[in-house]
Amino acid sequence: MEIAIQLVIAGILQGGLYALAAFGLSLIFGVSNVLNLAHGEFLMLGGLFCFLIFSATGLNPFLIGLMILPFAFFLGYIFDRFLMRPLAGKKEHIRLMSSILVTLGAALCIGDVTSFLAGAEEKGVDYSMPSFFWGDLYISYLRLLAMVMIAGLTVGIHYYLKKTYTGRALRATTQNIRGAMLVGVDTSRIRSVTFGIGSMLASIAGVFYVVLLSISPDMGLTVTIKYLCIIVLGGLGSLIGSLVGGVILGLTESIVSYYNPHWGQTAAFLILVLILLIRPKGLFGK
Amino acid sequence: MNRIILGIVLLFLLIFPVFNLPYLNTFLIILFMYILLAESYDILGGYTGYINMGHIAFFGIGAYTFGLLWNTGLSLYLSFLAGTLAAVVFAILISFPLFRLQGAYFSLAAFALVKLMEHLTLNLSSITHGSDGLKVLEGNRMIPMYYLSLLLVVAVVVVSFLITRSRFGLAMASVREEEEIAFDFGVPVQRIKTTAMVISASFAGLMGSFYTWYTIFINPSMVFGTEMALMPIAMAMLGGSGVIIGPVIGAVFLLIVEETLWTRFAYLHTAAYGLVILLVGLFMPGGLVRLRPVRRFLIRVGLFKEL
Repeated sequence: MEIAIQLVIAGILQGGLYALAAFGLSLIFGVSNVLNLAHGEFLMLGGLFCFLIFSATGLNPFLIGLMILPFAFFLGYIFDRFLMRPLAGKKEHIRLMSSILVTLGAALCIGDVTSFLAGAEEKGVDYSMPSFFWGDLYISYLRLLAMVMIAGLTVGIHYYLKKTYTGRALRATTQNIRGAMLVGVDTSRIRSVTFGIGSMLASIAGVFYVVLLSISPDMGLTVTIKYLCIIVLGGLGSLIGSLVGGVILGLTESIVSYYNPHWGQTAAFLILVLILLIRPKGLFGK
Repeated sequence: MNRIILGIVLLFLLIFPVFNLPYLNTFLIILFMYILLAESYDILGGYTGYINMGHIAFFGIGAYTFGLLWNTGLSLYLSFLAGTLAAVVFAILISFPLFRLQGAYFSLAAFALVKLMEHLTLNLSSITHGSDGLKVLEGNRMIPMYYLSLLLVVAVVVVSFLITRSRFGLAMASVREEEEIAFDFGVPVQRIKTTAMVISASFAGLMGSFYTWYTIFINPSMVFGTEMALMPIAMAMLGGSGVIIGPVIGAVFLLIVEETLWTRFAYLHTAAYGLVILLVGLFMPGGLVRLRPVRRFLIRVGLFKEL
């Protein structure tokens, strides 16, 4: 029983981490219909800068994460402004292909330049907090804190999207871009802002990655593919879908890996394919 | 005009091994492989508009089926046939569920299938030897492989050409432009898509078999790896998806760029390579062949066949 609960906790934490970065990808897809293959690079960069600043100053990594948020936003914003906006006026089919080329090229480029400048080896922040036993359950403060922060962020994003002007404009653009334009939403600015937000969420996920797991410059494409799978599983453009998709994948991985570590990833992809076969538009897709 | 150019190129490639340049020979084999993968991807991706990010799965299945069967002592030609058939059967099996999906869902579900295959080949190590990889009978097969892959490239280009001139090709284009309207006008949409995928898969499967036979050794990341999966698609899009010559030009261009960068620069060649892909995507939407001067030239010599 303890093992079961332990596994569920690990799975939910892993799923929450997945969901955090997947949110950004999902928002970006919703607003701009772009499958951003460079999303994982933003995550990697967030983790990397956290690692570099931590190594130099020894500050609390989560504090560092907070400090680099504006830069992450700026990076996402200019990524859209200079690389994605020129493609916006093209025909649908052409634009889809161009966006795949541009984001794939950017992903390769960012990954390689990073491994050249910062070294290709795996990096992790050696930051630990005490852990305690609750009954028979072993709980680490760090993981508990991460879970609370992820939950808080999820609620925060939800309210941002529902209550603020930008959030509502963002949702309007997702639902109907022409309609949003007609009522006076500056849709291209909203797109850039969405890329900024996506990049911010990815860099927070990167900070969790570097603290709880580890990062390496060539991880970008691999994690991007996983996040793309998660948002497809949950239904493109649906926030609750990303959360549920992330948790399903995290739980599958953690439970199957317990019985056989090699089959965790396999089971995750199997589940994804099976769910898509039953629900062609994902769990919460319209 | 176009016949003369194609004839000269083909003749040159046919007599090329006579010059005995092993480095260039090997390079050309790899080039043929990528041309084949890009062009066969484009039969589905360019003409029906379904961006199949899982195309490499057919290649990998062909590669593994061939290797496993040939190792059991089955004759060479039967093993090639089996590799192709395995890819075709897989294509038929997945086409029914996959084609219920559309757009990005289709692309990513297909991609997830590749990752699934990669993990399955890694984990079913009692059959596939997992990450240790699969070895087949050794031998120097450079020259026969050269001609086989050249033959396959010619075959896929001819098939693409025949498709663009047929009713079948028109039906594929109608699926790409407006699938629902095509359906309302009586185009058997599901059958068209499945057929396109089967043709596309058979070429990739056969190429996979050749590849195992040629390299002697394969492992899951060689045939199902992420970059291996994305490169042929990037080549097709970069050259010009939906134009017969497009994927060929894309593959030639990208591979020459990669080879040049790789030999010239000790560092950052992947970055430069990525930058090239990015710039083409940004400034030449529709690919190299749709760039106005290139397009005009190709039309003049009669090589711009588009669907």
